[in-house]
Amino acid sequence: MPLMPETCDKIIFSDFFKKNVKPLRNFLFYKYGNKESAEDLTQEAFIKLWKNCATVPIEKAKSYIYTIANNSSLNEISHQKVVLKYEKNHSVNDTTNENPEFILEEKQFKNKLLKAIENLNSTQRIPFLMHRIDGKKYSEIAEELNISVKAVEKRMHKALIELRKEIDVI
Amino acid sequence: MEENYFLAKWLNNELTEKELADFKTTADFEKYEKIKKHSSHLEVDDFNESNMLQEIISHKKANQQTIPLYKKWFVQIAAILVIALGISFVLQQSATETEFALNGKKTSFSLPDNSKVTLNSGSEINYKKRDWSNHRNLELSGEAYFKVAKGKTFEVSTALGKITVLGTQFNVKSRKNRLDVSCYEGRVKVNYNNQEVVLTKGKSIAFADGSPIEIPESDVIEPEWLNKELVFKKEKIDNVLSELNRQFDVEITVNSKPLNQLFTGTIPVNNLDQSLQILTSVYHLKSRKVNRNKIILETVDTQK
Repeated sequence: MPLMPETCDKIIFSDFFKKNVKPLRNFLFYKYGNKESAEDLTQEAFIKLWKNCATVPIEKAKSYIYTIANNSSLNEISHQKVVLKYEKNHSVNDTTNENPEFILEEKQFKNKLLKAIENLNSTQRIPFLMHRIDGKKYSEIAEELNISVKAVEKRMHKALIELRKEIDVI
Repeated sequence: MEENYFLAKWLNNELTEKELADFKTTADFEKYEKIKKHSSHLEVDDFNESNMLQEIISHKKANQQTIPLYKKWFVQIAAILVIALGISFVLQQSATETEFALNGKKTSFSLPDNSKVTLNSGSEINYKKRDWSNHRNLELSGEAYFKVAKGKTFEVSTALGKITVLGTQFNVKSRKNRLDVSCYEGRVKVNYNNQEVVLTKGKSIAFADGSPIEIPESDVIEPEWLNKELVFKKEKIDNVLSELNRQFDVEITVNSKPLNQLFTGTIPVNNLDQSLQILTSVYHLKSRKVNRNKIILETVDTQK
């Protein structure tokens, strides 16, 4: 019998899936703002990988699923605003020693930030959220978006400037 | 001028101390700091990952259909080759091997256990190579001399009876109505109808038309026919002629009154004329060659 490719091994595949499924789903969510669509597209990408496991080595699997995700497209209608939220226990920590005025200010700022992110264009929003939420390095983001690290830095830089401006306007 | 995306560097904590100190003095620093802080506490809802994984892995079946064709061919061809090889091996192993010696020829060959067999003219042996060391049995029609290697029971089946030995040397001659077995070494068991006879070295036995014939003990170490001599013991003339027919690949017929006298004696088979001379002098016959292969023996009287 020929050796089974690693990608076809259920344990190796499951491992790869667990490591990459949420960041991929998130990436597609940052792109389209629609969680259901993001999950559907994520599932499709992994199904393609599973079906072609014999021809995709495990070390190429990540770029394989991101290529599928990058090439994906949705109807205009499916595009929605990227609605995010803060971690639940996050606000609690901040409120301890601060005065009520400060708390209110913080809350307002946080809401403004969410709005500003929603208004960002997707080229800046996608790498920005990959960095802030998924904790990816610029080099990883560059690889997954198939752009240079310099381009990632440019987008991050512009995203920050854009966010700062938006917050002032709101 | 190369653009410096210092905000990106700052967000990634890559600024030098001096750059950071300079940045801190700017009016916007506090806002950027807040963006950095709060954006790190953003999250996206979880979803049921294990359900998704099950769903994905359940697609495995469809997978086989999307394997590139060449891989399928390769696998199919490989499988066919393996199966074909396997079948041919089994067939080869279980196929019946045939060894024979045409009239006028002799053949020697070895069995899988290195037992030696010499086939006399006009004889045939069938056996199976498969599991030979455990099932040493073969079918003989005609005459053969065996030098059996030590091992499990060795059986020779003939139309008239069965000969069973362990390791030994013996000769079996199986003719139409007569079976001759001679033992040259060891012990040989002969089953004929319901009789069982055990032969030891030098002993021979013959059964003709259902009854045993006593054969005197002999001290020869191997059958005479190996040395181009035919030894007959109380043999009918028809059988003697059949032997000569086999040895010389000829057709000898007798044109006379029935000859009832049994023949006992040795006939050399180097030379047909010499052999015929012995017979004709014993039976008062005369030989006449019709052609190269056909010889008629006639009584001397009728010739006159």
